[in-house]
Amino acid sequence: MTWDITGMAAIANVGSSPQDIFAALCAGEESRTPLKAFDAAKYRAPYAYEIGDRPGGGQDRPRRATGWLTTVVRQAVADAGLHEDLSQVPVLVGTTMREQRSLELWWRGHPDASLEDLHYGTALKTEFGASTTYTFANACSASLYALGMATDLIELGAADTVVVAGTDALTEGGFGTLDRVQNDIPHALRPFDTTHKGMLMGEGAAAVVLQRAGTGARPVYARVRGVSMNCDALHATAPDPDGITRAIRDAHRRAGVRAQDIDLVMLHGSGTPRNDVTESTVLSRVFDGTEPGPRMTAIKAMTGHTLGGSGLLSLLMAVLAMKEGTIPPVLGLTDPIPEAADLGLVQGTPYCGDLGMAQINAFGFGGINAVAIVEAAR
Amino acid sequence: MSSTSTTWMSVPHAREVVVTGIGLAVPGVAAYGALLGPLPGEGGFDLVAGLRGREMRHKDRASRLALRAAESALRDAALLDAEGAFTGTADSTAVVVSTNLGNADSVCEAADTLYREGVTGLSPLGLPQTSSNVVAGWVAIRYGLRGPNLTICNGITSGLDALAWARNLITAQRATAVLVVGVEPANDVAAKLLGERSADAAAAVVLEPADTAAVRGARPRAAINGYARARDLADALAAAGAAGETPVDLWLGNEANTGTTLLGATHRIDLEAQLGPLSGALGVLQCAAATAHLATAATGHVVATAGGLHHDAAAALLLTTPHTTCPSTQKPEEHP
Repeated sequence: MTWDITGMAAIANVGSSPQDIFAALCAGEESRTPLKAFDAAKYRAPYAYEIGDRPGGGQDRPRRATGWLTTVVRQAVADAGLHEDLSQVPVLVGTTMREQRSLELWWRGHPDASLEDLHYGTALKTEFGASTTYTFANACSASLYALGMATDLIELGAADTVVVAGTDALTEGGFGTLDRVQNDIPHALRPFDTTHKGMLMGEGAAAVVLQRAGTGARPVYARVRGVSMNCDALHATAPDPDGITRAIRDAHRRAGVRAQDIDLVMLHGSGTPRNDVTESTVLSRVFDGTEPGPRMTAIKAMTGHTLGGSGLLSLLMAVLAMKEGTIPPVLGLTDPIPEAADLGLVQGTPYCGDLGMAQINAFGFGGINAVAIVEAAR
Repeated sequence: MSSTSTTWMSVPHAREVVVTGIGLAVPGVAAYGALLGPLPGEGGFDLVAGLRGREMRHKDRASRLALRAAESALRDAALLDAEGAFTGTADSTAVVVSTNLGNADSVCEAADTLYREGVTGLSPLGLPQTSSNVVAGWVAIRYGLRGPNLTICNGITSGLDALAWARNLITAQRATAVLVVGVEPANDVAAKLLGERSADAAAAVVLEPADTAAVRGARPRAAINGYARARDLADALAAAGAAGETPVDLWLGNEANTGTTLLGATHRIDLEAQLGPLSGALGVLQCAAATAHLATAATGHVVATAGGLHHDAAAALLLTTPHTTCPSTQKPEEHP
């Protein structure tokens, strides 16, 4: 079974549509900005990858993640040629933080917050009349987990159309604790480069309309071939090579592909030395014997780690890469770590070539992994 | 639009999914059978002694409550050996956690610390609970459960939603067993958000396909038979298949909150009226109560509902006596 992607939308620091974000990734200009979300004097990390829509004057406002979510859902649904009434369409949202930023603001004295706004169903009900809505708090693999649950819903006959989305805004607790645990504070997110020091957060949202094959009204952007989801069950925050290997092999099995069929890998690439070494080591093993092997890129170098929505954002960039026959480079990658030496990481300028099948990795706290296989629509 | 008239009712759950284990960490509820009586009762979970221990160190309160309920449920399902190690199929056992305020205390405490002391005042040990899925991670790690690991933070319907997604994981053949946990810790943040002190509680159930359970000799105690999340209770009940001919023997729900009465229900139990707000733990605890009721040789259906007025949706879950223990529904020729 395959599933059609018929609508797409996204917002991130470098653009407010998938096409704009893709163009920015290909242009490859530094995108980090000085930390504006919080009182920078209280943190050691001086940069982030924020969306510049705060009121200014050091003020933050609640429900930014919710606002981006409803925006991308509206755009993706329109892109698929569907009506905005989603009363009969399940909406699955993957997120790391939910509206924890609103919770923080409320606790610190902002008057406007409510328990019902912590999950996204409340806004989706107001905006689209949607009731079969689900907020999956599945850390940084959340939106690919949501995609996997959506493929199940369609396969089980519960729906023909599902909207899948991811969204997250910076939280001071998340940003601060990450700052606290990174001894060598990163000034930029530099995945797989020997200068990588760690992760810096970004913000954004992404959405797709997923439809039973052949039932959509608009041309198909790409086809989902399979999504795996599992758990390392080993460490609360560190990745495990065995768990990631199982997730990748299961994704290939579900998609009915072999390692040599993959042309493009969108890496999780969070820029932490632990992730980069683990992910490189696993991929070198998985793609051993497929020379020259797939090309690979990592978008967090420009978007920052957009947390729950990051997997789906990577997936959208894979869809556009296959359509354009172009893979954006990994910003700032000049000297890959030894473990990544044999990987086909795109450096410097975009890679151009024929791309038919993409693998998208997303790994999260709790050791939860999700891997999607997506095929170009030809 | 191409996808109208599709509801959860149409999910063809070919394999019956049944409850094979229940575990509670609820003060004032000594055993899950007690959920049918007046609450809170004598005994129940000891919040002081019960949350101590080596394996509890450096974990947030929600994770500690959840670990205790999970342990009881797995033991009740005969999936733990004498040393407390998991004896099931770890690679295909999933964890589904429902919680709304599980890490809210950690989030707000970190915000206070940052305000007072800046980033150096934070503890590095607080990293896992910055993410809303901290509980599911710890539960999986404790028992080595490597199947899908899902956290549902979906408001008042979360617990019922979690049970439905757990059933989907089994039907879609992503899991051969699912440990479902609903947990909400009581603290000042939760009380301020909820308007009153919440229950300090976790409930866990083990779901398995009926055939798998039968092979390993586990006793199926209740079957998950229908579910829907819809704009109001009437729609949810209809889509869950709970508005049909078969009489509802027990309704687990809240009349005021749903804005309706479930006509014909012989009994009604409102757990939150007795135990305080349960939020994400509600649906899983309702499932435990439903299972207790079905064990008393009930003849009708049990319906659990959550949400409705003042919420973004209502959810309904239909539970029935498992076919395998209900000979009257099986013809003799089905038993060669």
